[in-house]
Amino acid sequence: MSTATTDMSTKRRHGAAAKSKTSGKQRQRWLPWAFLAPTILGMGLFTLVPIVASVLLAFFRWDIISAPSFVGFDNFAEVVQDPTVRVSFLNTIVFVVVAVALQLGLALALAIMVQEKLPAWLRVFFRSAFFFPLILSAASVSIFMRYLFNEQFGVVNWLLSFVGIPAVPWLTTPGGSAAVVILVYVWQNFGFSFLLFIGGLASIPTETYEAASIDGATGWRKHLHVTLPLLSPTTLVASVMAIINALQVFDQPYVLTRGGPGDSTRTAVMVIFESAFQRLEFGQASAIGVILTLIIMAITAAQFRLSKRFVFYQ
Amino acid sequence: MAGSNGKLREISRRTALGALGAGIVGATVASWPRLTGMDIPGRGDNSLSIAIMGTAADAAARQRVIDAFARVHPEIRVKVQAIQAADWKDFFTKILTMVAAGTPPDVVYVATEGAQLFAEKLAHPLDEYLRRDAADMKEYFADVHPSLVEAFMYKGSLFQLPIDWNAANMYYNTSALQQAGLERPSDNWTQADFRNTLAAMRKARPQDFTPYYWTNRLFGGVVPWLYANDTSFLKETKSGGGGWLWDSFYAQDPSRGLRSGGYQWLEPNADDPRVYESFDYLRGLVKDGLGVRPEEGGGNSLVGLFASNRIGMTPAGGYWVEGLHEAGMKEDGFDVQFFPRWRTQRHQFGTAGYAIMKTAKDKDAAWEWLKFSSSLEAMRLVFPTPNTTPARRSMVNEQLYAGRGPKHWKVFYDTLDKFPTTGPIPAPPQQAAVETALMKNVSLAVSGDERQLKQALDSMQRDLEIALRRQA
Repeated sequence: MSTATTDMSTKRRHGAAAKSKTSGKQRQRWLPWAFLAPTILGMGLFTLVPIVASVLLAFFRWDIISAPSFVGFDNFAEVVQDPTVRVSFLNTIVFVVVAVALQLGLALALAIMVQEKLPAWLRVFFRSAFFFPLILSAASVSIFMRYLFNEQFGVVNWLLSFVGIPAVPWLTTPGGSAAVVILVYVWQNFGFSFLLFIGGLASIPTETYEAASIDGATGWRKHLHVTLPLLSPTTLVASVMAIINALQVFDQPYVLTRGGPGDSTRTAVMVIFESAFQRLEFGQASAIGVILTLIIMAITAAQFRLSKRFVFYQ
Repeated sequence: MAGSNGKLREISRRTALGALGAGIVGATVASWPRLTGMDIPGRGDNSLSIAIMGTAADAAARQRVIDAFARVHPEIRVKVQAIQAADWKDFFTKILTMVAAGTPPDVVYVATEGAQLFAEKLAHPLDEYLRRDAADMKEYFADVHPSLVEAFMYKGSLFQLPIDWNAANMYYNTSALQQAGLERPSDNWTQADFRNTLAAMRKARPQDFTPYYWTNRLFGGVVPWLYANDTSFLKETKSGGGGWLWDSFYAQDPSRGLRSGGYQWLEPNADDPRVYESFDYLRGLVKDGLGVRPEEGGGNSLVGLFASNRIGMTPAGGYWVEGLHEAGMKEDGFDVQFFPRWRTQRHQFGTAGYAIMKTAKDKDAAWEWLKFSSSLEAMRLVFPTPNTTPARRSMVNEQLYAGRGPKHWKVFYDTLDKFPTTGPIPAPPQQAAVETALMKNVSLAVSGDERQLKQALDSMQRDLEIALRRQA
């Protein structure tokens, strides 16, 4: 074999290696996109397009049957002036404040109790038990709750009668129906926050508690000065998700009370549904949807901005 | 070895990707009919697609009618699509989304609640077909009360043929009445008699019993009380026209003079003093523990409660009979009477029938289905049990109620015959918005003091104005 041949062969090998390296790099570049493509396509088709369509629709009057007609900002003006829409947004805000506070408070308290006081097998049981309501259909749960909270024949009033409490009109008075809607919603949703808190608690190093104990911290002081600060990143995530979910509450009030009595349990998403699918005012429904989205975005942005003050990362 | 491992890994990855790709293609091919909606009855072929409210079992139950229809019209293929919905409002919503998706059915079973919405926007009038086949249709109209037909007239045209219907009559528990020491109420009992009956029932059974149970909805809620008091929450007027139908089919009917081109509800009427009076009466029943605060939603739970003797009286239609029977109530355990008289004894009813969509592929074929469905043969197949009141008078007979009750089943059809001004549920094309406006204020109106009642009716008036102003 001549030297020249050897050189050629070496060059060819090097060339092939270089080519293979380049194609490997190219593959590395497009491979992630190839894997992401189905998701991007799905998101584009089923999330982005409807969002854009919905925003555009807010500027049209459309009843499905006739052709849409451009009305500018009329839909926004009309929904802002509509007392039912205003009440529904106010209800939603009140609902969010009360339900989220209860949901997070309950989830945190139970997570601390379960994580700290119970043997391992009971922990597993309660984790499953508290998460269980979340996997049930909200509509089915609400139908069931209608029976439980029936004023005349419901189990709840029957139980209360044993301690001498007269029948409570749960679903037929504004206060009672709002209370039941919140109760059912919190019962069904706190399991998710509970699991987040369980995860957060597990990630707090035991040394930190030991150090706090050496410094004399016991009982609730330990939780106040160690658990809560170190759990703040989890609390932020849990609260952001809980607020976004609560702002979109629909199933429970719709099935339990249909928004009544009066407008007492009518929520923003319920008004979107009624405008679109019952009154065939898809433009107005979109306008309400756009307003609700802006509110959700503003609240979430505010949460992240404020989080700099109360979230501590280890 | 390293090289061979690498090759193995490469092949394995390729194989995996290939298998994944093949899997995706296979799944897509397998689910193609679902993805494209081709598996929806009537889609992609020339079948007449018919949408009804109900379950798959309801669609299957229609098969006998489809088979019978196929014997008469072998050239027309029919597919029934049952759409499950909580109420008629939900059902219409689903039909409208099918319209929006560009896949509307050819024929839809529509109740009074949606009759004018369909007539205004979606349905094709039947006038030309009725004129053409007048000779065939005479027998049907002779057997169906004109009030039911008038409910499907809109601006002088007929859009549906009534197949079944229900008036808001008063069901009562016979043992509760006996325990209260009372006889069956008379046919022309008044709202005062009604209240006295409830009071006697309450006295006889103070615990675990509700003398009067009603739900907050359009049918059987507050409206029958408004009708009995010769008023309504919407001003009721009638449009002209329609003479062609009445003269053809009901020329000899004693109520011919009452008939019109259809009902119109164009203005709110919640500020009428009689509306206040009716609400105040119901408020009094609630306040004195004789009736419940009405709950939102349907009355499904009521059947079980009534069948277990925990409810004294409730307004319902003939559709309740089969439900009570299935819930185990004996035929003499309950009975039915006309709704009590106030200023009038006008009742409220709802009816339903097929409407041909404007977009139907073959309207002539759709008409043949409508005509067959209104025949005695088809209706006997559809209504073997009293789970509704058939529109044909001849079918509301001893045989239908045998073994199920109630004893006075004649009340159902007599409601129309004895009270010919009995009218349909107020359901303009904007019915969904109107119903929401009504329901959201009813429970507040009857659950508080007089001031709250006044406020709720003011609110209802305002909400109805907005609802009627809006496009249907």
